[in-house]
Amino acid sequence: MLFQHHLTTFVTSCKGLLQVNKSRKPKMAKAGRMEEGGVSKAPVPVGSNKGISVIDLVLRLVGIAGTLGAAIAMGTNEQTLPFFTRFVRFDAQYDDFRSFRLFVVVNAIVSAYFVLTIPLSIIHIMRSVARGTRILLIILDTIMLALLTAGASAAASIVYLAHNGNSSTNWLPVCQQYGDFCQGASGSLIGSFGGIVVLILTILLGAMALSRLAKRIV
Amino acid sequence: MDHSTHSTKESGDIPIPMTDSKSSKASSPLMPATTNKTAKQPPVSRLKRGLGVVDFILRICAIVTALAAATAMGTTSQQLPFFTQFFRFKADYDDLPAFTFFVIANATAGAYLVLSLPFSIVCIVRPHIIGARLMLLVFDTIAVPLVTAAASAAAAIVYLAHNGNSNANWVAICRQFDDFCQRVSGAVVASFITSLIFVVLVIVSAAALRRN
Repeated sequence: MLFQHHLTTFVTSCKGLLQVNKSRKPKMAKAGRMEEGGVSKAPVPVGSNKGISVIDLVLRLVGIAGTLGAAIAMGTNEQTLPFFTRFVRFDAQYDDFRSFRLFVVVNAIVSAYFVLTIPLSIIHIMRSVARGTRILLIILDTIMLALLTAGASAAASIVYLAHNGNSSTNWLPVCQQYGDFCQGASGSLIGSFGGIVVLILTILLGAMALSRLAKRIV
Repeated sequence: MDHSTHSTKESGDIPIPMTDSKSSKASSPLMPATTNKTAKQPPVSRLKRGLGVVDFILRICAIVTALAAATAMGTTSQQLPFFTQFFRFKADYDDLPAFTFFVIANATAGAYLVLSLPFSIVCIVRPHIIGARLMLLVFDTIAVPLVTAAASAAAAIVYLAHNGNSNANWVAICRQFDDFCQRVSGAVVASFITSLIFVVLVIVSAAALRRN
């Protein structure tokens, strides 16, 4: 009973929200009909969507910097210790860890994706009523977000193990010998997580722009 | 005529030629404007309702997989029947922080999905709601990297446990802890499926927001 009561109040408040939008529409529609004599489209103010598109472009540029930097920093990460024995190697490269290889590949893919979607972003600034390309961008952004998070957190998990080790599986922390290698890996992780935040923000901005277009066009 | 007087009243001097349907609307200003909209919009309404139903069904599937992953990981514990002075031979999900994060993240995702079911129902009942859909999209966008991060951190550990790493002298432990490894691998797979469902949920919400 109480749940139904809350649900109906929620629904009526949402209806109230909707009617605020609907009450704007008949006036605009009448104005459109009188001006153009039969065409029911109202003039669309495009100012606020331009701001969103500009922020989107800036975020993508930041994302390129972050992911490209992360890929390069991890790809050139290697360290050779100055001593060796007959049986044990004492050098570490990013290649030796599968997760780091995945990390470099994924970051390269995402930075290429950012570069390729900059023209699309510029088109959104110029033409604010571009619904089809906006939803395509949101879809691709979500897929890239999942990919980037997978690569970044696999690498983060290995870096954490390398720093701390694990007593129950008898995995020794490697960072105590390979200090430079570990630092390079940790630094590149930061760039990649910055890229994740950028992707989340671009998805949210795109969704906000989509919902504003939906509200405004009659 | 009725429509010409109405148009001169509102626009000024120039009588604007109007079609029949518009004149009937102009001549009865007391009729609510919603009938025009319901006459035009059922196909879009039906599409949004369909997307809402897809959204609801996907949420239920995601609840199942997320909770399955969390419980499969959370209830693993294997103790080998032998021990030595230096090595422990017991494996819990507690021993690896990545697995602890995995259980917490999947449980959080499952709880969020259960709480978002009423909003999904509201989006089916009222297809033209923007606020609830946008809120679901925002929280789903935050849930995608959360679940993917947990799943792939655990996957990296599981890969290490299966194969080991010769350069870091990390021994593959799955050969001894076979049961533990199998359950944990199954939990990771379920978590990846949950993350995929979240991605599809974001796309469905965005598609439903697009058409209005």
